[in-house]
Amino acid sequence: MRCPWCSNPEGLSKDGTLMVDEGKLVDAVCPNGAIQNQKIDRSICLSCHSRECITKNKNLGIRFPCQRYSVKSLIAEVQRAGSLFYDGGGVTLTGGEATMQFEAVKELLSALKASNINTALETNGTHPRLPELFPLLDTLIMDMKHYEPGIHQQVIGIGNSVIIGNIKKAAVEHADTWLRIPLIPGFNDSDDDAHQFANFFKQLSYEKVSIEVLAYHEFGKVKWNQCGMEYPFKNGCLSNGRRKEYTDILKKYELNLIHT
Amino acid sequence: MKWQNVYTNEELQHNVELLLEEQRKQKRLDGWFLIKEIQAHYEKEFITFDPELKAAQLLKKVVAELPLNISEYAVFAGTQNDAFSPSYALINPAFKVESFSGYCDPTAIFDDVVPNEEISPSRINKIRTYTNNTGYVQELNKVYDKFRLETSEAAFFVEQVTGHLIPDFQPALVEGVESLLQKIKTKLKTASKDKAPKYEAFSIALESALILAERYATLAAGLAEKEPEPRKTELQLIAETLRKVPHSGATNLFEAIQSFIILWQVMCIEQSPNPYAFSVGNADRIFEPFRAMENCERSKAASLFKHLLVFYNVGERSWAISQDLIIGGRSNDGADLTNETSYALLDAYYETNFPQPILSVKLHRNTPSRLFEELGRFFFTPGCLTPSFFNDDSLFPILKKNGVAEEDLENYAVAGCQEPLIMGKDNGNTTNSWLNLAKILELTLNNGCSALTGKKIGLSYAELGLKDDAPLSVLKGVREAFEKQVGYFVDKMVDAANGCSRVISLLPIPFLSSFMGGIETGVDTRDIHAQGTKYNGSGCLIHGLSVVTDSFIAIDSLIKERPEDAGRLLNNLRNDFKDDETLYQYLRACEKYGNNIPEVDQTAAQIATQVSRLITAKKNYLGNSFRPDWSSPSTHLLYGYWVGATPDGRKSREMLGYGVDPLYGEASSGIGFRILSLKNLPFELMNGGYASHFGIDPKYFPEETMAEKGSAFQKRIINPLFFGSDQDHSISPFYLYVNVTTPEMLRKVLANPKKYAPSGIYIVRIHGTFVNFLDLSPAIQNDIILRLDLQSTEM
Repeated sequence: MRCPWCSNPEGLSKDGTLMVDEGKLVDAVCPNGAIQNQKIDRSICLSCHSRECITKNKNLGIRFPCQRYSVKSLIAEVQRAGSLFYDGGGVTLTGGEATMQFEAVKELLSALKASNINTALETNGTHPRLPELFPLLDTLIMDMKHYEPGIHQQVIGIGNSVIIGNIKKAAVEHADTWLRIPLIPGFNDSDDDAHQFANFFKQLSYEKVSIEVLAYHEFGKVKWNQCGMEYPFKNGCLSNGRRKEYTDILKKYELNLIHT
Repeated sequence: MKWQNVYTNEELQHNVELLLEEQRKQKRLDGWFLIKEIQAHYEKEFITFDPELKAAQLLKKVVAELPLNISEYAVFAGTQNDAFSPSYALINPAFKVESFSGYCDPTAIFDDVVPNEEISPSRINKIRTYTNNTGYVQELNKVYDKFRLETSEAAFFVEQVTGHLIPDFQPALVEGVESLLQKIKTKLKTASKDKAPKYEAFSIALESALILAERYATLAAGLAEKEPEPRKTELQLIAETLRKVPHSGATNLFEAIQSFIILWQVMCIEQSPNPYAFSVGNADRIFEPFRAMENCERSKAASLFKHLLVFYNVGERSWAISQDLIIGGRSNDGADLTNETSYALLDAYYETNFPQPILSVKLHRNTPSRLFEELGRFFFTPGCLTPSFFNDDSLFPILKKNGVAEEDLENYAVAGCQEPLIMGKDNGNTTNSWLNLAKILELTLNNGCSALTGKKIGLSYAELGLKDDAPLSVLKGVREAFEKQVGYFVDKMVDAANGCSRVISLLPIPFLSSFMGGIETGVDTRDIHAQGTKYNGSGCLIHGLSVVTDSFIAIDSLIKERPEDAGRLLNNLRNDFKDDETLYQYLRACEKYGNNIPEVDQTAAQIATQVSRLITAKKNYLGNSFRPDWSSPSTHLLYGYWVGATPDGRKSREMLGYGVDPLYGEASSGIGFRILSLKNLPFELMNGGYASHFGIDPKYFPEETMAEKGSAFQKRIINPLFFGSDQDHSISPFYLYVNVTTPEMLRKVLANPKKYAPSGIYIVRIHGTFVNFLDLSPAIQNDIILRLDLQSTEM
């Protein structure tokens, strides 16, 4: 997916992206001359393997937001955090898109379940093997951005057929599915959109499904600049109270609405 | 006369507001000076007396002659105003870190007395000179002179401890002072020649309370003759009450509170000036029997308790700080001890929102959810005081391990900011010594010399046994060298601290001793040859944990990744990273404590363990252990000022981390990871206490009602922090205070106080004291804003 409002652009590339705060850049941290006068030339970074800017010359102006962990080390870390799981807490896998590392996610979830740790997954629902994870999840949280395949393809970059299929399966097979509509101005926020979503949900076996509307925000916008990209979404303005109005429409359909 | 028929709740509320207003107009506090004059006047008369007897006689003279008054709004007679001077620096708006020099000069307080028509400069000078020439001041100066080098740049500090105790007034409240006098009479019949004067001193000192009560009773009766109703009846109630208590036991809540206030007043007069941090103890357990005697309903009790709370507010800025009142908790066998008085006190606190006394709440795994629901309003009402929390489930085993008897555990209370002491039995000398680990690290890295002044204060490389003075050798050997340097300073600090304790023993406190076990032991609380209290120790407040931890980690990284820069690092520490942004940023980017990174957390735990054990192994003047206390009551600012740049990238003279918290801005992984980092610390070794603060953004609590928010606070913060999973066998954290606000909100309050603090008061908490944010100096305001550190508590 390439959602123009993505809040975690650092995960768009599967190899990760250097995040830069130009105001804190120091030229000397790059021996290859990629930083001149506190400006970074990322084309030089493409061929750099030593990455001294985040190792030997680590600094406040550049960070690499990804780290590699073995599943075993993650389990150990989770077990150390056991005291935080008071009152039904556990581990939520999120992203980016966690299922892009499907095998590792499956292994991790299996190990967590074997340790009796509560599990949840936040996903965009695009992975065709998503249903294999259902038995390993106490809570499944899926986004549904648009009901119309053409608009989904046009704006987000891929169609929604796999997503719809996974949602329908989850509604039947999974005990606790949350469907979230990220409310995006000009994309899915009209009254008609609300009715269309509601009608879709009503066709599901929706007794075990909870619906939540999330208001558009721009908390991730600054990260686009830090990743060397321009924030593509131009019409980001949701009026005050729109989320509530939208939710009120959905309420009329007697859906199970939640607000976390 | 039934007090409940004299006052309505509304009248009690109205009066308490006027009383606070009256206090806030009180700019002069000269009572302590008058006390000094009375003492100076009579001192010669008792010069040959046994020290305890002399102290008791002087106290009696003071109480007999000190001018008294009863405010037209007072419900109770009594005041602390004569014990305090308007000078506690940290809440003084003129406070500046760079010019603060501590409280070690007992004559500095005379600078607070502004001459006027009544108190002339010559009168001030006379008493100042007299005080300066006393044996006490002369001996104290010798102690400070001996350690002037080490204390000059705050490698450590020491003080003679006044206040900071929790008396147990319950026997007097229940049975009356007369019954205590009878007990002393019985003891005198068989007392040895040495002990007899002490008992006599206790007896004379206790009589002071009866004298004071009688004087107030007479005053009230006299005023009543002239006043119209309803004030006439109100004053007659005071007179009638004081003709009964504290001489005899109280039989209702009004009498109990009045008795308590008189006893407290005498206690403070005895240690005037400035006996900070006397604390009430388990207030709900103290007063509940009296509330229950008359079945006083909650709202009435709350209204009356407001007049106990207002008593603790002295002068325009509530100068008598850190006087703690604690509620809640459990018994030794696990039963919850929250009672109706607990809730009445909470109501009183909430509805008054005064800067003093401070409020603490004891919690345990089975604390009723009702208590958290009632606490919600404190956290989520902007500008409202917030209680600190103590975890009984952790503190009981910690105290037991450190020598407290099983039957006393449930009676621990809190003195001052966060020091756990057993009520009525424990002289902890809690603020006796103060250790600055960050300064010691600076000296270690700089060949024993100050990076700020070049003065040699500590041990050199050679004296520390370092292989050679090559920079890389220094860095590689820093942990071992640091440990030696700490040992060197701790020995001196203990020597100095014990010196201060010996000096303060020249000022016995027979009145307070009567409520600290003195009647049983026949020994004054401050005695240095025999132990007057059941428990005794000396505190050491240890500063700089996060800075030293982060510095060790940065040094390890540099050795591994760029050892060629060892010399560059040491030079940068001397010149505050000037012109070397690259190295500065490298050090700042190294891993930091508070982010759940195992290696860093283990380093913090190792430092805390090592230093705690070192401190515990040291003995005080009575052969009891020093108590490690990892707290820094605004002294992280003061002591940071005396520390140069450190290897974690902290710049010269910047503040240290607060208590055991990460340095502000360095923990950026949210509250879960911050809690996990914290939990690695060896709390079982911190029997002197510790400090930790969470700044909480209220946006994380979207629940509708205050009760629901309070419940959510329990689930999201208290339970994970204090009551971890069963897999976690180590002792959990046992202290927390919070400020639930944002930097933006505090800046708005400063920019537009009329809108955001229309009463002129916006309470925030600094460790063990509530303060009016608007009254603080810019340095302290900035500290509070920075330390909200909301990134570290994201949820």
